Amino acid sequence: MTDMVDQTVTTTPAEPAVSLTRADVQRSFWLWTFFSHANYNYERLQGTAFAHAMTPIIRKLYKTPDEITAALRRHLVFFNTEPNVGGVIHGAVIAMEEQRANGADIDDETINGVKSGLMGPLAGVGDTIDQGTITPILLSIGIGLAAGPTAAFGDGNPIGAILYLVAEVAVMTSLAYFFWFQGYDRGREGVTALLRSGALDRLVVGAGALGNLVLGALAFQFVHVYVTLTLIVGDGHFELNELLGQIMPGLLPLLFTLMTWWLLTRRRVSAIWLLVAYLVIAMVGAFPFFAGSAVDPTTQCPSILHEFYQPDCIPPPPAPTP
Amino acid sequence: MQPLKDPGRPTRVAAVVTAAIMLGLIFAGPVLAQDGESPKAGLLQAALVGLGYYLSNSPWLAGNGGFFGLYRPLVAGLIVGIIFGDPVKGAQIGAAINLLYIGFISAGGSIPADPSVAGWVGTALALAGGLDAQSAISLGLAVGLLGTIIFFTRMSVDAVFAHWADARAEVGDIGGVARMNWLPPQVFLFIITFFPATIAVYLGAGVVSDAITWLNTNAPWVLRGFQIAGGLLPAIGIAMNMRFIFRGTVIPYFFIGYLISVASAGAVNIVAVAIIGAALAVLHVTFLGARPMQPRGAEA
Repeated sequence: MTDMVDQTVTTTPAEPAVSLTRADVQRSFWLWTFFSHANYNYERLQGTAFAHAMTPIIRKLYKTPDEITAALRRHLVFFNTEPNVGGVIHGAVIAMEEQRANGADIDDETINGVKSGLMGPLAGVGDTIDQGTITPILLSIGIGLAAGPTAAFGDGNPIGAILYLVAEVAVMTSLAYFFWFQGYDRGREGVTALLRSGALDRLVVGAGALGNLVLGALAFQFVHVYVTLTLIVGDGHFELNELLGQIMPGLLPLLFTLMTWWLLTRRRVSAIWLLVAYLVIAMVGAFPFFAGSAVDPTTQCPSILHEFYQPDCIPPPPAPTP
Repeated sequence: MQPLKDPGRPTRVAAVVTAAIMLGLIFAGPVLAQDGESPKAGLLQAALVGLGYYLSNSPWLAGNGGFFGLYRPLVAGLIVGIIFGDPVKGAQIGAAINLLYIGFISAGGSIPADPSVAGWVGTALALAGGLDAQSAISLGLAVGLLGTIIFFTRMSVDAVFAHWADARAEVGDIGGVARMNWLPPQVFLFIITFFPATIAVYLGAGVVSDAITWLNTNAPWVLRGFQIAGGLLPAIGIAMNMRFIFRGTVIPYFFIGYLISVASAGAVNIVAVAIIGAALAVLHVTFLGARPMQPRGAEA
């Protein structure tokens, strides 16, 4: 009986001798989803995690110790990509391993070439989509709801945190599942076609439009910059902050945010230095140069930079233009 | 292939400075404690925070529940708030700290700071010290810089386990390779995350609250400085994210979003802004397509 089976296999190579079920590919997907960064390290990054995710596939496809060792070695090498969108690589590699186990002419170099060739571009696209756009958008919404109290936005609502968590997990997991099976079903040609089709670019641009709008609103809600300089011209006192507000309400925080962006992007100032510098500026601004140090902070404003919502220390909030 | 980035001098300098300040505070704690009676964290509460910090770095909630979930100060703050009995305040503080890390990107095995420890330990310390959300941002910043030490330790040591996996592969042990990917790294990760975070909260809570009480009477301008910083620092988090999306044809939407809020004095809430944004995004892609905005990688 066994002889007969073996013979049919060798005589008809078109018929897959070993084929993966949907469940095998799904098992691999969940192993990756959970353990992609379990052993993240400087030498291989996600290398061991890739091998971990391939274990159900290797177990199913290869039977001899030599084949198993070769397959494990093949997938233990350096690997690093964005774990959700990058799953399209794993899908394609699983499809290639399946063909290889069935006698197709796919050698180690081809498989390694697909992995190392695609992981860079997909890390770029994936990080832009996942960490650069979707996560900040959902975070902005969650933060906007949960933060507070601010003068303009009322009390905080912890639902914001729960909303973020649920939406983020749902969006990311379905995205990862989609890309994984796109890779498996379409194979490596399909992945390249997908990258070329511009569908990902449209997603990035659309999310970028949404992200910018939300980020703008967030900047207004949370960036507070005030100057308390008073210009004395003759008998008139002019609050500088009020004058700026008359040009455009909320002008100063907007300019401050744009300046920060300019410093980070155009001048390539390290974010860490910037954090330290702003902290120092705030401390200097708060130091009571113009009054005794024993002033009660809740009633007096002995600083050159105002903070936002202390009752007796408020510059009038930017009024809506009628 | 992404280059493996060194932590960089600024990170190391800042981490060392913060570590020195924190250690100094711990030694100065008994001196600062004037009344002796200040809210402190119980051992169980501290351990729960430590556990949360470990889980946020672990694989047990999948990448999406861990790295994209508990790792974020917004989520961590809510849970820490529940642990300390004030979920609303906790979520507020977490959200405020998260503003710093809204543009946080981990790419090529490098992180600029550790949002997770800022969220878990930072929120716990801010709650114990009675800080308001805006002032807590500076505390979160300091703690987050310290956390990078843990990340770089883990990234360096875990390379050892990759070689253990190689050894299992040579004997064709499929299960062994899988085990090497999670068992030893997770034991190590638990040791370097759970214990420091637990100790920081257990010892730090009293110290921070004493320090704030002391500052309140002796140098109130420092606390005012924290509040002012709370209005400046979010600009950095927002600008970090702008590096990625503030480009090409979608730049105008940033100004539209800002002006919607200015014109309504904040009456249009963030969910409504997001819905307007979704509508505009559909219009934009339909009429302008993807052409002018080049997606680029983390090295923007």
